[in-house]
Amino acid sequence: MKRTPHIPMVAGIPDPILEGIASGWNVQDAADVADGGVITADVVIIGTGAGGGTTAEILAEAGLNVLMLEEGPLKSTNDFKMDEREAYHDLYQESAGRMSKDGSMSILQGRCVGGTTVINWTSSFHTPEQTLEHWANEFKLEGASKEEMTPWFERMEERLQIAPWPVPPNPNNAVLSRGAEALNLEWHVIPRNVSGCWNLGYCGTGCPTNAKQSMLVTTIPGALNKQSGLIYNARAERLIIEGEKVLGVEVTALNSDYKPNGNMFSVKAPHVVMSCGGINGPALLLRSDAPDPKKRVGKRTFFHPVAFNFAQFDELIDPYYGAPQSIYSDHYQWLNVTGPAGYKLEATPLHPGLAAVLFMGHGGRHYEDMGNLPNTNLLLALIRDGFDEESPGASIELASDGSPVVDYPVNDYIWDAFQRAMISMAEIQFAAGAKRVRPSHLDAPWYETVEEARDGINNLDNRSNAFTVGSAHVMGGMAMGEDLDKCVVDSNGKYHYLDNLYVIDGSVFPTSIGANPQLSVYGFACKFANQLAAKIKAGA
Amino acid sequence: MKTSRRGFLQLGAMGTAALTIGSGAAMLTGCSAQQTPAEGFKTLREVDVYFLGALAPAVLTTKGYPGALGKDARQRLLESLDSLMTTLQGHALSQLQMAFDLMGSPVTRVAVGAPLHPWQEATVEEAEAFLESWRDSWLPIKRMGYQGLCKLITICWYSQPENYALSGYPGPPVKVPYPYPATGE
Repeated sequence: MKRTPHIPMVAGIPDPILEGIASGWNVQDAADVADGGVITADVVIIGTGAGGGTTAEILAEAGLNVLMLEEGPLKSTNDFKMDEREAYHDLYQESAGRMSKDGSMSILQGRCVGGTTVINWTSSFHTPEQTLEHWANEFKLEGASKEEMTPWFERMEERLQIAPWPVPPNPNNAVLSRGAEALNLEWHVIPRNVSGCWNLGYCGTGCPTNAKQSMLVTTIPGALNKQSGLIYNARAERLIIEGEKVLGVEVTALNSDYKPNGNMFSVKAPHVVMSCGGINGPALLLRSDAPDPKKRVGKRTFFHPVAFNFAQFDELIDPYYGAPQSIYSDHYQWLNVTGPAGYKLEATPLHPGLAAVLFMGHGGRHYEDMGNLPNTNLLLALIRDGFDEESPGASIELASDGSPVVDYPVNDYIWDAFQRAMISMAEIQFAAGAKRVRPSHLDAPWYETVEEARDGINNLDNRSNAFTVGSAHVMGGMAMGEDLDKCVVDSNGKYHYLDNLYVIDGSVFPTSIGANPQLSVYGFACKFANQLAAKIKAGA
Repeated sequence: MKTSRRGFLQLGAMGTAALTIGSGAAMLTGCSAQQTPAEGFKTLREVDVYFLGALAPAVLTTKGYPGALGKDARQRLLESLDSLMTTLQGHALSQLQMAFDLMGSPVTRVAVGAPLHPWQEATVEEAEAFLESWRDSWLPIKRMGYQGLCKLITICWYSQPENYALSGYPGPPVKVPYPYPATGE
């Protein structure tokens, strides 16, 4: 019998971007900017994700003329059709295929106006206190204790309507709460940045109902309503640096296939904010030959490497429907801060394209696994990387064409956490009533019992490209703090070696967060942007 | 391996495989890269069409294209692959094309463990043997190529609406865009 979605149709939803443009917003396609043109603004912000969007609204409200640049296209509510093909093509870096140098790690990262906030799964957490303390102790980060940061997180929680999800979890997430409960492990409901959410399950392909409070429907319209400007399809090629000043940025215009259309222009501004994320940001500084005496730019980039476990159930899971993430467990997260890596457990939404990739392999087994999708649950573990000295993270390098290359060796320290996490997930899945469990590893069969799973997982092998290492969280690469041997950005977001360059995004995190990072980015951006606005207005 | 690179769904690796495994052979034969897209495609060239078209049935089931698309299956998959590859940036695309170029010449084909005869003449069994040899190789670069090919082909296949039935996915809700009047632009 042909089944239909639990909500068959989405209609009657206005598109705030189309309406804003019709009302006269200053929004331009880079392809329409004259070759060789020079545009001026009070502040130019490179990137429109969590960091750039938050910063733009705050600076615009302070009365500054802000220009936002975005490499990706401008897509909005009317474009969001819950179709994986269109979403990966239009909204993700490298068509959702961004990966590390040796192919081991697959990185999901946004590339559109609104950045990753347009395609994330809405999980919103304060930066854990242990993480803030570690940054203060190890990196001499100032002014970022729990007490000092909490008001900034609360401001953004209010702005983005972040609250624990009040609706029962979908069956995919209920596996985690049911299994954790049975094993007496702590679990909690995830706070989400949504307003009037329909519980559809398509956060990852662009919210079709405007419920997700991404930058696209909140701060970016907020900034544009205050006379700021936005140019999309605009790739920041290099910063124009003279002595200790950044004069502006050189921009390459991209066409509808996201390739250079042959035109370049520049944006000049007395204040420059980089909000391009932990991969493209370091690459921009490396291309620009920015001063970096200790060679720290692009080092220690972290990803929360993700381990995945599938489980098959007799009952329907329908892992593609319903709020993608609503339950988490930090039971294994803070047993220690340094030493063996802790991990956060959550569920993973599974649409058929993503499922096909995560099942791994080919042929008969792959086909059979795909056929069982409606009865399949997928849990994930975010490995908290960067806290122990055995976890140096990635280096960002440049390819011959200047594009970034992520070199992240998945070493035995990470693999140890993978094995522990895969076993924890298998225990939870069996406790929740799973019939069979299999980690996303080519050598792993479907395990029928928890004992078999423990033995089997302990004997799996850390061979590159034999198992999935996912990531949807790009952090670090331009660490903040006052220890100049480790950091390139100060405790207020200013680049240590340039007078008027600010870095406001996840790339300033000295380690991974230990939780989905979007609210950490919002909170630090809110703090840095308010400080910057005050400084500019004081004429500093 | 000092060349910096990145890839698409791990296929950029195969460009490196080209350099690492087959460069000597490529030089001997003067492996000439053909750059024009094949008829009806924006990015896929003839060599890419033959290679991907030969591997796809083995990747998907070992028995051919599953599902209801029937004789349109191959073309639909290739169109989907073409659409994804068209969004690649310069470096990733050139790495990928370098890898596929290897599959166009008999000498380089053999050097990377592929059949001697052209891919358009390859059987499903030969494609299967090739996939397994790359999957189980001691060379990280071949394992990376294997994963990349499987990911690319399977994501393009299962995200086609006609193939939702294969995974039991009932599909997304129907989205009706808000009916704004045309601006006349």
